Amino acid sequence: MKHEPKTAPSGAETHGFLGEEFLTWIWFRWETEGGEFHLPGGRVVGVALDDFLTFSAPSDDDTEQTLRHGLPTRTEEARTALRQGRRLRRARMIVAEGPRQWSVTVDGASLRLSGAKMPEDAEECESENDRTADRTANWLALHELVQSLYGMFLRERLADGYLKSAGEKQAHWMQQ
Amino acid sequence: MPSIRRSGGAVAFFWQGKMLDPRDEAFAAALQQRRFRTIQDAASEEVSTGWVTAVDPTGDSFAIEDLDAGLATWLRMRIDKKQLPRKWLQIHRDVAEKAKGKKLSAKERRELKDDLMDKLLPRVLPTINMVDALLYHDRRTLILLNTSKSVGESFHQLFFQTFQMPLEKSDPLQLGFQAGLDPETMHKLQRAEPIRWPKSEPSDEPRRRTTLAEQEQHA
Repeated sequence: MKHEPKTAPSGAETHGFLGEEFLTWIWFRWETEGGEFHLPGGRVVGVALDDFLTFSAPSDDDTEQTLRHGLPTRTEEARTALRQGRRLRRARMIVAEGPRQWSVTVDGASLRLSGAKMPEDAEECESENDRTADRTANWLALHELVQSLYGMFLRERLADGYLKSAGEKQAHWMQQ
Repeated sequence: MPSIRRSGGAVAFFWQGKMLDPRDEAFAAALQQRRFRTIQDAASEEVSTGWVTAVDPTGDSFAIEDLDAGLATWLRMRIDKKQLPRKWLQIHRDVAEKAKGKKLSAKERRELKDDLMDKLLPRVLPTINMVDALLYHDRRTLILLNTSKSVGESFHQLFFQTFQMPLEKSDPLQLGFQAGLDPETMHKLQRAEPIRWPKSEPSDEPRRRTTLAEQEQHA
């Protein structure tokens, strides 16, 4: 008898690796090109990894590795994990666009955001309604920035010849 | 009106098709249909889930201006849960077992629990959980300001019951579909496989590294 799953698998279950590759790509681009991303629509955004990284387990038998505080991207443990071909499972990052700055932890497998901190309320906010409108715009902006960065990553990652060009450069960086 | 929070966790959802315009009375009326109903006086263990607004936590009113949050519509789901406190149950069981001088049988334990439910539940106040969501109607995007799986499922269910519109949760596949990719790239996205990044072994001998393309070819 054939057993059918009760529900179709979600993208988090089937394509979670892409979110993890996305976080690792952000790190690669930040270290090798300075973390400035030119997004469609003329938006320029700065991204940097912050003080929290988790590397995914290569298999069910292995353990996740988490590095916190200080500058975890500069540690020998982080470099070793990259040399072993590990992807980032979660990362705390700082995202800046113009005067606005967000801090957020992104879970690669689900692209869920946690511990997000919006920019300070705009000085022009005089009422609770103003503050709500400002924060509402900031929540949307954070979502759109992550989506645009992810779209940028996908265009590069899914392009013909990726493995021989940008992918090979990243592989080289990971082995350093 | 209080202000929406500026920190915490968030999950994005998307929908397809046409849904009610939040500026129309019909939108508020749909929320009213699925308004929150109190279980404060309930005499049994219950969960109540429904809509309220940031201005009125009871669910009695849904003024359009109370939903307005600038670019978004501010939805608030209230989940009340009434449950017999397990510690009270344990205390009463311990007392009964001490008086009897031995463990209660399964039947006695069940009777004790039923008796306590009848006596205590009308006096127990439910726990309250307010969950906020921002609905960006023109972008067909909703940001739920909560990352709990069970809360997400409750929200999804309430939203569907209210607007007859299923929400699609953002994940690496869904977010890719929303990222404005061309059809060919979308097709590649669906069939994408993980990259096996090279693994270096500790070795004193420097040697030529296999390129990523060679590695994928051999796999």
